[in-house]
Amino acid sequence: MENQKSVVSKVEQSKIKYFIQQSWLLIVASFCFGLLIAIASVTLSPRIERNKTSKIDGLMASLLPDARRFQPAAELQIKSPKGKEMKSKIYKAISGAGEQIGWAFSCQGPGFQDKIELVVAVDKSFEKFAGFAVLASNETPGFGDRIKLPYYRNQFAKAPADKLHLVKAGNPGKIDSEIVAISGATVSSRAVVDIINNSLTQVKEQMQAKGLIGNGK
Amino acid sequence: MANKSPSQPGIYKQTLLAGLWRENPVFRLLLGMCPTLAVTAAVKPALTMGLCVIFVLLCSNIVVCLIRNLLKPHLRILMFTLTIATFVTIADLFLKAFAARMSETLGPYVPLIIVNCIIICRAEACASKNGLFVSIVDALGMGLGFTLTLCILAGIREVLATGRIFEVAIMPDAFVPWAAMSMPVGAFITLGLLLGLVNIISKKKN
Repeated sequence: MENQKSVVSKVEQSKIKYFIQQSWLLIVASFCFGLLIAIASVTLSPRIERNKTSKIDGLMASLLPDARRFQPAAELQIKSPKGKEMKSKIYKAISGAGEQIGWAFSCQGPGFQDKIELVVAVDKSFEKFAGFAVLASNETPGFGDRIKLPYYRNQFAKAPADKLHLVKAGNPGKIDSEIVAISGATVSSRAVVDIINNSLTQVKEQMQAKGLIGNGK
Repeated sequence: MANKSPSQPGIYKQTLLAGLWRENPVFRLLLGMCPTLAVTAAVKPALTMGLCVIFVLLCSNIVVCLIRNLLKPHLRILMFTLTIATFVTIADLFLKAFAARMSETLGPYVPLIIVNCIIICRAEACASKNGLFVSIVDALGMGLGFTLTLCILAGIREVLATGRIFEVAIMPDAFVPWAAMSMPVGAFITLGLLLGLVNIISKKKN
């Protein structure tokens, strides 16, 4: 019995030895390359974040052209439909006269092949959209990336800031809660509508809870 | 590619020139077609893509060459991919940090360098069989050949599509821009015509 056990343990040991002999280079290389990427990421991420912040500012300014400055109002937590929590900042858009003219926030969700990050702007009472802009996406060039084009984006400007519905055919010039999908890019069109629907409800609820907007609005 | 002995006369010059003409990755080997067609609507993105490929090719060739004696035959492709993916990720992060607009213009095509056949082809055909200096020269030759090809293609397309190159108008006022040249159809037509031209020149040379 003991002999059997020692034979089994020797076989196991030789299997582990064989595995290490074969794959040690891969394991060491994975560790070294991982370290290299981590160093590059830590070194470059502050600059990448700064670029992203200045891009968000530019996009917010394009969505709310009357705003002179954007003041961070609150940090929010948005849950994805799969339950993953994401941080989002909401900005107060202030005009040259010092009046608040709207809100803007960033949100994200899954696209066709990678996540899509958006900046969404609404009016100050959270009743109408001012529009959305794509902060980052890797949608298929020529197809899914057409979500950045005015044909699709213009449908959101002045649409009611409530649950939006995607339709495959309709009049894109009509401003209502129906968004006409881009032909050949239905998945990306749906992704944008889903991201906005998912984040808008949660942003509204959290802002009401913080007293930033009135209840029932 | 057979093993090249560093003592062979003119080996470095031959290796460097091979990438530029005789074994040009785009015109002769027809490798890396995805970025060749996708990012050549203008010269700036084509040049950036070329420089990224040179960086990745150089780093991966150096690493593969240094570990070539330790590679297990059945794990070599995995090691090549791991090496290439690391340097592509670094190049992508660098672009996002220092050339954010260009990074957006190139979009998914920078991460897609991982699956660019030129890099893995050079790792397999040259770096895993030759010494360090030959591998470096090969990476530079192939990278420069790829970059030059992309820039030639992009230059023709940009001039015909906009009448400008590097934001400088070079066509007469009467020139009507060919919008199709900035679209995928322009990339296919230009590449096809250039391939035909290269074939004619090669036949005449032979």
